[in-house]
Amino acid sequence: MVDAATTHAIEYTINGERQQATVPARRLLVHHIRDTLGMKGTHIGCDTGSCGACSVIVDGRLVKSCMMLAAQADGTAIETVEGLAPDGALTPLQQAFNEQHGLQCGYCTPGLLMAASFLLRRNPNPSEAEIRRAIRGNICRCTGYVNIVRSIEAAAGPAASERAA
Amino acid sequence: MLLESVEYARPDTVEQALTLLSQREGAAPLAGGQSLVNVLKHRVASVELLVDISRIDELRRIEARSDGGLEIGACVTYDELDGSDAVRASHPLLADVAGHIEDQQIRDRGTIGGNCCLSDPTNNLPPLLVALDATMNIRSRSGGVRQVAAEDFFHGYFSTAVGEGELLCSITVPPLPSPGGAGYSTVSLGADSKALARAAALVRGNGVIEDARVVLACFSAAPMRHHGMEAALRGAPATAEAVAAAAAGIGDGLDPPGDVHASTDYRRALAPVVARRAVCQAIGNGGDERG
Ligand SMILES: Cc1cc2nc3c(=O)[nH]c(=O)nc-3n(C[C@H](O)[C@H](O)[C@H](O)COP(=O)(O)OP(=O)(O)OC[C@H]3O[C@@H](n4cnc5c(N)ncnc54)[C@H](O)[C@@H]3O)c2cc1C
Ligand code: FES
Ligand code: FES
Repeated sequence: MVDAATTHAIEYTINGERQQATVPARRLLVHHIRDTLGMKGTHIGCDTGSCGACSVIVDGRLVKSCMMLAAQADGTAIETVEGLAPDGALTPLQQAFNEQHGLQCGYCTPGLLMAASFLLRRNPNPSEAEIRRAIRGNICRCTGYVNIVRSIEAAAGPAASERAA
Repeated sequence: MLLESVEYARPDTVEQALTLLSQREGAAPLAGGQSLVNVLKHRVASVELLVDISRIDELRRIEARSDGGLEIGACVTYDELDGSDAVRASHPLLADVAGHIEDQQIRDRGTIGGNCCLSDPTNNLPPLLVALDATMNIRSRSGGVRQVAAEDFFHGYFSTAVGEGELLCSITVPPLPSPGGAGYSTVSLGADSKALARAAALVRGNGVIEDARVVLACFSAAPMRHHGMEAALRGAPATAEAVAAAAAGIGDGLDPPGDVHASTDYRRALAPVVARRAVCQAIGNGGDERG
């Protein structure tokens, strides 16, 4: 991509599946995911990088997909909320959000699930303070966060290992 | 949001990036995009070509120098600074400050170079780099490397010593004074959020302050050293009382902006508070660790 152009052919994996696409340079990654791929799990809340509803994991890093161009995803591995439970069986984290009432309207939930998945990979046994810091970039207008924190705590560390056993 | 039509290129080397930037009017480097993408969305600046420098290997390195300092590539992210053993070993405060910029998502994309080149007066890294007496290494296609002291680099929002067609390539951070230390303090809207007033400090000496750099941010368009407070600290005992005495009244001579979050008078009142806390942290005597 050394040459400047208004469209680019890109290649990436999304939830493990290889994809090729031709994208306009001005296309945001979130629009590519939602409108071209039709994966509507990734939400748009603010479109200014402030709410985290559009959070996805790109090459192992948590990013807001409204703050990145689709062309920048070339050569990367993208994970979206749809990839968490590919066969329909909920992950312990998703299960915990269900059991602990970690959502009300659910608008923020995909972004929070990605932020929490990122956290638990990096730190399988986070403290409450670490959980709150890790979801700092994800705004929820409904829950007041208490049940979200509880959900992540329930899915973390010893609780999660017990559940798996 | 739909961006205006724009071209995109992702060069592999700094040379290629500089060629693209110098050949084209309306070309802009794209680093972490955590400010520039919003600028494009709001169409406040017209950019015709985005030169994506975020994956250029030579801009992504952190090198521990033999003198105990660091050389940090412009496209190293905040999260990488936070997680770097080299940065933690020689300049733990820099790692802590980077690790408390806004949120995980912004730390995973935002870069030290972008933070400096945006030069927003509320940005976290500029005042710290001025206090640490960092050197900004700028390259152009024809001119090789130009070195600018951090103190002279920041001019105001979107305005720095980087000229058209140039790139900030790396930042050299000298070793901390020994004995001595660095400090940083912020009063912000909420935890890890927009700063209302901020200070960074570097102190040499043990028991007695031999030399000090005190830098205020959010009080003017660019970070500013407070030479009066620095002079008052020189030769003073390294105690919280002496620091408080040196900080007293430093807001009076300032003319900071006022906005919905903090009036001019409130910012004036905050100046001695953040300056005192930053210097106290630098002398290892209390203060606000991360701010
Ligand atoms: C919701 C939100 C909250 C934020 N809060 C904070 C905060 O509290 N503190 C804070 O410090 N920041 C904050 N930011 C800004 C964020 O840190 C940006 O990432 C940063 O200011 C710019 O870095 P970047 O790498 O994303 O640069 P970009 O957005 O890619 O670029 C910014 C500007 O610098 C230029 N540029 C970038 N790199 C170079 C280079 N190497 N050489 C020459 N020019 C270059 C670009 O052309 C552009 O003009 C926030 C951002 C958002 C979206
Ligand atoms: S939609 Fe991307 S952060 Fe809000
Ligand atoms: S559940 Fe409604 S925004 Fe979070």
